[in-house]
This record gives sequence, C-alpha cells and structure tokens, in this order.
Amino acid sequence: MDRRRFIKAGSMLAAGAVLTKSTLARAQDEAGGPEPLGDRDAAEGVPSRAPRITNEQPHVLTPNGATLPLRTVGNVRVGHLIASSFEHEFAPGLKAQCWGYNHRTPGPTLEAVEGERLRIYVTNRLSEPTTVHWHGVILPNGMDGVAGLTQRAIPPGETFMYEFTARYPGTFMYHPHFDEMTQIALGMTGMIVVHPRRARGPRVQRDFVLMTHEWRLDVGARRPDPLEMTDFNVLTFNSRTFPGTEPLLMGRGERVRIRFGNLSPMSHHPIHLHGMSFATTATDGGYIPRSAQVPNTTVLVPVGSTRVIEFVPEQSGDWAMHCHMTHHVMTQMGHGIPNMIGTQTSDLDTRMRRIEPRYMTMAQDGMGSMGEMKMPIPKNSLPMRGGPGPFGNIDMGGMFTILKVRDSPMKGTGLWYSHPQGTVAGPADASQMRADGIETT
Amino acid sequence: MAAALGGMVMNAACVSSSIRSDTDRVRELSRMEHLADVPESEVDPVSSPEVGAMLSKPLTAKSAVKLALLNNRELRAKLRMMGVSRGRLKQAGLLPNPEAEIELLPEQDSDIELRLEYDITGALLAPMRSRAFEPALDAARYETAIAVVELGYMVRVQFYRVQAQEARLAIAQQMLDAYAAGREAAIALRKAGNVRELDLAQHEVAYEKARILVAELELGRMNAREALHRLLGLYGPETAWSVQGYLDPVPAGTVSVPEHIETQALKHSLELTQRRHELESLARRAGVKDTAGWLPDVAVDVHALKSDAESTPVRESWRFGAGVRFSVPIFDRSQGEVLELESKFSAQLERYYGLAVDVRSMARQARAELESAHARAAQYLRVIVPAQRRVTDQVMLQYNAMQVGVFDVLRASRERLQVELDSVDAQLAYWKAHAALRALLAGVAVAQPSEEVATSVSFSDERVEEH
Ligand SMILES: [Cu+2]
Repeated sequence: MDRRRFIKAGSMLAAGAVLTKSTLARAQDEAGGPEPLGDRDAAEGVPSRAPRITNEQPHVLTPNGATLPLRTVGNVRVGHLIASSFEHEFAPGLKAQCWGYNHRTPGPTLEAVEGERLRIYVTNRLSEPTTVHWHGVILPNGMDGVAGLTQRAIPPGETFMYEFTARYPGTFMYHPHFDEMTQIALGMTGMIVVHPRRARGPRVQRDFVLMTHEWRLDVGARRPDPLEMTDFNVLTFNSRTFPGTEPLLMGRGERVRIRFGNLSPMSHHPIHLHGMSFATTATDGGYIPRSAQVPNTTVLVPVGSTRVIEFVPEQSGDWAMHCHMTHHVMTQMGHGIPNMIGTQTSDLDTRMRRIEPRYMTMAQDGMGSMGEMKMPIPKNSLPMRGGPGPFGNIDMGGMFTILKVRDSPMKGTGLWYSHPQGTVAGPADASQMRADGIETT
Repeated sequence: MAAALGGMVMNAACVSSSIRSDTDRVRELSRMEHLADVPESEVDPVSSPEVGAMLSKPLTAKSAVKLALLNNRELRAKLRMMGVSRGRLKQAGLLPNPEAEIELLPEQDSDIELRLEYDITGALLAPMRSRAFEPALDAARYETAIAVVELGYMVRVQFYRVQAQEARLAIAQQMLDAYAAGREAAIALRKAGNVRELDLAQHEVAYEKARILVAELELGRMNAREALHRLLGLYGPETAWSVQGYLDPVPAGTVSVPEHIETQALKHSLELTQRRHELESLARRAGVKDTAGWLPDVAVDVHALKSDAESTPVRESWRFGAGVRFSVPIFDRSQGEVLELESKFSAQLERYYGLAVDVRSMARQARAELESAHARAAQYLRVIVPAQRRVTDQVMLQYNAMQVGVFDVLRASRERLQVELDSVDAQLAYWKAHAALRALLAGVAVAQPSEEVATSVSFSDERVEEH
C-alpha cells in the first residue's frame, strides 16, 4: 500500500503531461507493473518512506516487474515459480511469444532476508524440460539446478521442489540450466535479492532491480529467435524497451541503490547514469569493501554477472540512464541497408517512383528523425527509435530509461520535470554572442 | 446418240459456272463468312480499299483474321487454283472431236477422197470421266477450306504473339528502369563516398546488360509484326497499325472444352472429308479405266470419193461409203493402269485411316494443351503474380522500417517483373492453344509450334547487391 502511494508521485495533472496514456502509461499498465503513470497523484510527491522488508531496509522494486509472493509455513518461506509460454509486450506496438516465470519476463524477483529457509516449487509448463539454477547463491550441490549434473531435468507438466537457506546476502539471479540458449533467449531470467539481516553501510531509501537482456525479434515476427548469435535488435531493461520502460522515481538527497543483472546471451552492457556519480558496492560475489569502491558514471555489467551501484541524486530533474553501446539504444533498427548519408537522390527518387511509387529515399541526412516518420511499417514492429518527451521526440530506444529525481514533496510539476527559468539550453542570442566575441556568418 | 450428246453439253455448261460458286462453297465449309471473292479476271497488286479502313482502328484478333481473308495473297492464289480442278473436270467432260481427212489421189481413178471419223467409245466415256473428276473438284474446295482455316489459326497465333511481344517489351522497359535506378543509387552512393568504385562498376554492368534484353525484345516485337504483315499481305504505310491492348486475361473458372472432343474433331474434319473426295475420285477414275478397258475402241467413219471425170463412165462423180474400226480388247484391257489406280486408292485409303488416328490424337492433345495452358496461365494470373505483389508490398514495409535498402526494393521489383514476364508467356500459351482448338473444331488439326523467346534476365547479379 505504501508503495502504491509512492508511485502516485506521477500526476493528477497528467492531462497536461507530454507522456500520453497511449505510450508510456499503457505500456506500463500492460506490463503488469505498478500503477500506470497517468493514475498517479502528483500532489503527493515522493513519499519519505518506502515499504520496508526489515526495519532498516526497503523492499526492492522491480520496474515493469513484480516480486514473488512468499508464504511463511513454519520457519520456511514458500514460493512457486511456473515456467510457461505467454505473450509479452516489449513496448506498445511490439509483442512476442516469450518464455518466462509466472507469465512474466523477467520472472518475479525473489526477495529474501539473509538466513531464511526458502522452498521454491518449480512447475514446468513448457514444451521441453527445464531446471532452475540459482546463480550466485551458495547452496547444497543438489539444489544447483544443472540438468544432468546435479539433477534430472524437470519434465514438462511436472513440479520439482528446491529448498535451501539464503546464507549470504547479495544480488543474484535465476535462470534455466537446461537448453539455456533457447530458454534464456526467450526470456527465462529473474533476479534474486537477499537482504542482510542488518543493513550494511549507509542506509538506502530506494532499492531497484534491473535485468538487462538482448533479443532477436525480426520486424513483423512474433517470436524471438533463440538461434541468433550476433545480431540482436531488441535491447531491454526488465524485458522492456524504451519507450516501454518504466521510469525510476526517487527523491533528491535520498540514497538510491540499483542492482543490475545481465543474462543477455552475448553482450555486456556499460550502463551510464546522467547527473549522478555512483559507487559500485557489490557484485554477485559479495560486497566490495568501501576502500575498493571507485567512483563512476558508467558501470559495465558483464554477461552472467550482477553489479550493485549506490548514489545520492543531488539535482532534481529527469535524468537519462542507458547502455552506452549506441546500438543498444535502438529498437529493431535495420543494419542491412546501404549507408545513405550524404547522398543526392533526386534523380534516383524520380526513377524509383516509376518502378515503385511508394518509394522514398530515407536517411540521406542522418537517421535522427526516423522515429517521427509516419510511413506504413510491418505490423508488430518498433523499428524507429524513441518516444515523446517534453521537448520533442526522445531519440533513443532499447536500453534507455529515466531517473525521475524530485524534491519531496513535489510541487505540482506534472509528469515531466519542470525546469526553473533560465536553466534549459536554448537558441543563442546574437547580440550576446557578439558581446562574448563569437563571430557568426 | 443425240440425247447422250445433249447430256454431255449440259454437263459441260454446269461445270463452267464461275469461281464465285467455289468460293461460296469454301466460305461455307470453313465457316469464314468474311472470306472475300477474288475478282474473276484481273489480279490487282493493290490491297482492297476496305483494308485501309480496318487498319485505321486498333487491330484485334478478329479483325486481323478478316484482313488476312481479304488480303492474303497465298489464299487468293489457292482460291484461283480451284480453277485448275474445275478446268480438269471441264476437260474430262468434253466430247471427242470428229476427225476429218481429205486425200488427193491423182494416181488412182478418183480425184479426191473425204473421210470423217468419230470416236464413239470416247464420246460414250466422256460423262463417266466427267463424273470421275467431280469429287476432285470437291476435294480442291475442301483443300482450300483447310487453307482458310489454317490461315485463320496462323493469323490468330501471330496476332497473339504480337500482343505478347508488346507486353514483354513494356515489362522489359520497367526492368531496365529498375537496373537504371540501381545504377543511379550506386552513383549517388559513390558520389557521397559511401561505396567502392567496385560496387558502382558492378551496377553499371548490370544496367548495360539489361539494355541488351530490351534491344532483343524490340527486335522480337518487330519480327512478330513482320510475320503478321506477311500473313495479312500488308506493306508500305499499311504497316503502321496498332494493337488492341495486351493479351486478354484467361477466362475464370475451368476451361470449357466440348465433350467428346475426338468425335467432334472427326465429325468436323475438313481434311478427312477432303481425303474421302480424293478417294472417290480415284475410285471413279479406276472405274472409268476398267470400263474403258473392257470396251472395244469403236470408231465409225463415213467417206466420200470423187472420181476423175475423164476416166469414169458414170456421170455421178461422188461416191459414198462408211466403215467401223474397233479394237478387240483381248490383251490390253488397261489392266496395268487399273492396277496403278487401284494401288493409289489403297495407299490413300491407308493414309485416310492414319489421318483419322492422327486427328483423334491431336484432338486429345489440343484439349490437354488448352487445359494445361489454362491452368498455368490462371495460376500465374490469380496466384503467382498476386503473391509476388504481396512480396513487394512486404519489402516496401520492411524498407520503410529500414530493415532492407534500396537495392532490396529493386531486387523485389525485378522479381515481380520477371514473374509478370513469365505470366505473359503463360497467357500466350493459353491463347495459342485456344486458337488451335478453334481450328480443330473448324475442321483442321494444326500442329502447335513452340515459342522461342528469350525473356529472362536472370543473369547472376547476386554479387552486385552485396557490399
Ligand atoms: Cu548494452
């Protein structure tokens, strides 16, 4: 309930917001994430207290995702993961048949406290066997989930039981260890967060988990291709691609933790934060001693690893956070086309229209405006980067999201950050330029 | 005797009726109402005035056939050649001429001797001979009717070829445009510094090769028109006609071939009937020979003798006599000639049965060709061409989504055009088979010629697209 209130940091004034219900809001609604942005109450702003798992530590939040419900039976925490196939939406206009847990990809975040006994039932509703490997968790060998090595694979239709104690706190992951190439490529991933019994280091107010992933989904196709080895075209945070990614809301001056996991088939992701300097405090191997923590603005999250960063936002605003590999901030943009930059194509266009009247040369000036083109494209595709922003089209896609840092309480600013007068870059004044000694012709 | 002679004269008069009646009969047999009469006497090297009027409108298969019937010189020659058979018939029915002989005999006791002899057997056989040549005239009329139907078929086929060539050329022009656009794109990319000289060179080669195809098709179109000019007897300004559109699409649904096609073909076959008339003529000629062989060759003669006045005591100087001369058919009863004709008859009869076998077979073949051609043409028209268009549509969507580039669009366009070219070939095959069946039901089983037209530009240009 508290979390619900927290998320109402959006806006009652959302009517005037640039992010429309048809894009971001609906995207998040359909993803089964928290409440849609459009329903949020702006007046409330960022709450001072997030929901807590222990007295000192807040629950983790999985943007666009969920936390696995656990029931306490005696002294054991019991959960149930159901592996199955379902339709998943990467962003409005782009759906695919994916595999995952409890009808979502990534599966629900498994959140526990150090020392808790966990009993997880895994039901296989896939067309082939599967297992669950608890990546990074120290546990008895027979619970490690490696098909053939530590257990028999779970046949379709059967339920296996895993039981172990979360001995060490940390940020881990879970994924199948049977036909990984296929099952991970189709979305079978999930995060595990084990909170320490007593908070370590400075206390945080916000704790987010983001699983990074990459997919091959041909434009107009409806199922990711698990055979792809090099050319991925849908890059995701929590299996969502911008503008389908839910922003991360946080208060200015709060201590924020983001836990990244990477179960991409092939790529490492250098995740860059705007407006923040952070420290990497932990990996899936454990905590990094304070003395070894290096300040950074980009953290490389290698395949099969987790990285935990912590920071205190100092400036309010809408701050970008994205993978810095430029091809990872696009969605389904084609790479098999000739480089048209700088071509003079009026003769070509004239001749082409005699053969194919629908033809128009594109990208001869650059590709920045592709996101705003309104040409017929294949159904179920998102080949153009970007989504609407307060100053026009946000020319990014893929692994891109927004850190919304707000004063607490927010002062009715609406969904987008309202910049104080004179703090937004704009056209230069000619007389001022001359006064500053800048010559223009 | 007088009655017999009278009958012969009547017979000859009947035979002498004009070429117009033969043409009427041919018109009836070939069911070609537009078959024009050729003028009785003169041969005019200039086309009839109707031709100009017909050529001023776009030509259709129907009007082309009409023109050919009016103007095809070989057909006109055949119409005139019916006069040859008519002439033979006429000749056969003529009575033998009496033979007269005048002798001056000074060494004998008469001054002059007149002798008149008449071949009685010949006169008696004349109506029989005439009857023997009657079926030959009929055969000639059937032969001409066959020529008329064949000409109609050839004109139709040639007209469809012209239409097909027009369509092929138009498609090839677009194909050339596609290659030209590929070259334009390569030039633009090269100027911007985005591709290598090699890429441009490859596109230029592809374009220059495509020009060859268009040049070939231009020649093909001209050749097709010239072949039609020959059939239609056109020259000079008359060759500047245009055609009505492209080939008609094949009819929807299943193709309709008359039931019992073999029986129909046999029933309507002008060729079989013509052979029958020829057989009849042979049989009758053999009969005449046989009869003539058994008949003694009888000639009667009357002679008059005028005596020398001084040496003869009597006043009456003219004396008259009569005689008969005949052969006795003991040895030569024309057995050899009869055998010759009988053998010819038997041989022709064998061929007649052979022709009937052929006609049945060609009827089945014509049906198979038509049904197959229809199925193929319909498959192109209603399935393959639309499917290929769908490919182009999807390529355009993928292009808009920047998944494929200009060269992929061009490749898809060329694939679409190639399918359209193939479709033209299939349509042509159908209309040719259609014309063949039409000729078959009009009485002539035609051998269907195969097309040899190069319309594929599938030279390897894979390398050009990859860079
Ligand atoms: Cu990346």
